[in-house]
Amino acid sequence: MRRHFLSLAALVAACALALAPPSGVAQTQKGKAAKSLDGPGGVIAVNGVRDENLPTPPSGPTPRAANGKPDLSGVWLNGNYSFSNMGGALPLQPWAQELEAKRRAEQSKDDPEAKCLPTGVPRITPYPMQIIQSPTVIAMLFEGPLHTYRMFYLNRGHITGDDFFPTWMGDSVARWDGDTLVVDTIGLNDQTWLTGRGTPHTDQLHVIERYTRPDLGHLDVEITLEDPGAFTKPHTFKRQHVLSVTWEIHEFVCNEFNVDADRLVGR
Amino acid sequence: MRTFLLILAAAAPLAAHHSFAAEYDSNKPVSVRGVVSKVAWVNPHAYIYVTLKDDTGKESTYAFETSSPNALMRRGWKRTSLKEGDAVTVDGYLAKDERPLSDGSIHANARMFTLANGGQVFAGSSAGDGGPAK
Repeated sequence: MRRHFLSLAALVAACALALAPPSGVAQTQKGKAAKSLDGPGGVIAVNGVRDENLPTPPSGPTPRAANGKPDLSGVWLNGNYSFSNMGGALPLQPWAQELEAKRRAEQSKDDPEAKCLPTGVPRITPYPMQIIQSPTVIAMLFEGPLHTYRMFYLNRGHITGDDFFPTWMGDSVARWDGDTLVVDTIGLNDQTWLTGRGTPHTDQLHVIERYTRPDLGHLDVEITLEDPGAFTKPHTFKRQHVLSVTWEIHEFVCNEFNVDADRLVGR
Repeated sequence: MRTFLLILAAAAPLAAHHSFAAEYDSNKPVSVRGVVSKVAWVNPHAYIYVTLKDDTGKESTYAFETSSPNALMRRGWKRTSLKEGDAVTVDGYLAKDERPLSDGSIHANARMFTLANGGQVFAGSSAGDGGPAK
């Protein structure tokens, strides 16, 4: 059946390549068997998602900062590489469900992330991020696809009133609850998608993240999303990052050659 | 060299920047046999250009999207994994938008590069973002 399909695909491809394709062009043959992801060889499972590129995290106790709080610093990999895994279906209002369905039907062609715009909060990408911690502010630096950052301020409250403008990554303030860093984010614009499949939100989105570092190699976060403009109720899910002691975050200049932006046809 | 030119992986999503299906056509697989004419380490996706001649001597160049340079590096690619002048066969998929790129090259997405010595380099491009796994 598959062979049959490939033959048909070959015909379609041959037609698409004009009547007299260059002699070096041919229909692709059935690919060779892919390396199994189930065997040994550095494959680890995080959040049930396997990715052989994730280095095995080191083991050891939770590092502490000079003030005694857990030190969250490090280069962190997104253990769950899925753009869209948010712990099950989000409790969307009908308009948001309809908009997401439309975007999915269009193959996510209008995804802001594909246009090299920020992902917003709390969407993640396949690229690592680095946390740098001080007693008054904790910085989260993202490698890509767009270089961007979040700042968690421990020394002030949210910006409010006339001083407030919505932004792509929001306004984040943080406090320690024992060994848990609680990050509260508001002030997000409504331009980003919560997932790669097009889940919308409004500028009423409120994100509460609870970060813990149970040991040297893991950063756990429990995320609660509230959006009275798009959700029917709050939604909570968990995510885990793993530490890399060998990777650094690298340059990623998304707009350098983004020929994709005007070539996403979505049909 | 030979050791690293093995199939590195085939299903791990490392390069999602845009949906595969929004840009490339899984119903238009293509296999191109030619010579690497340019290696562009650019973001968000590195491009490998492959030039071939038809029976009349007319040249065509395909621009194959791969993963990002960062992701390729972490997969084990080196700057010399594919070099200008290397004879390769590239298996991939044509873009849905049939317009050539600004330099006239034909736009496609690479899945696998096979070198003349039989070594293979997995492009790791849009796997995991809705694209075919191979």
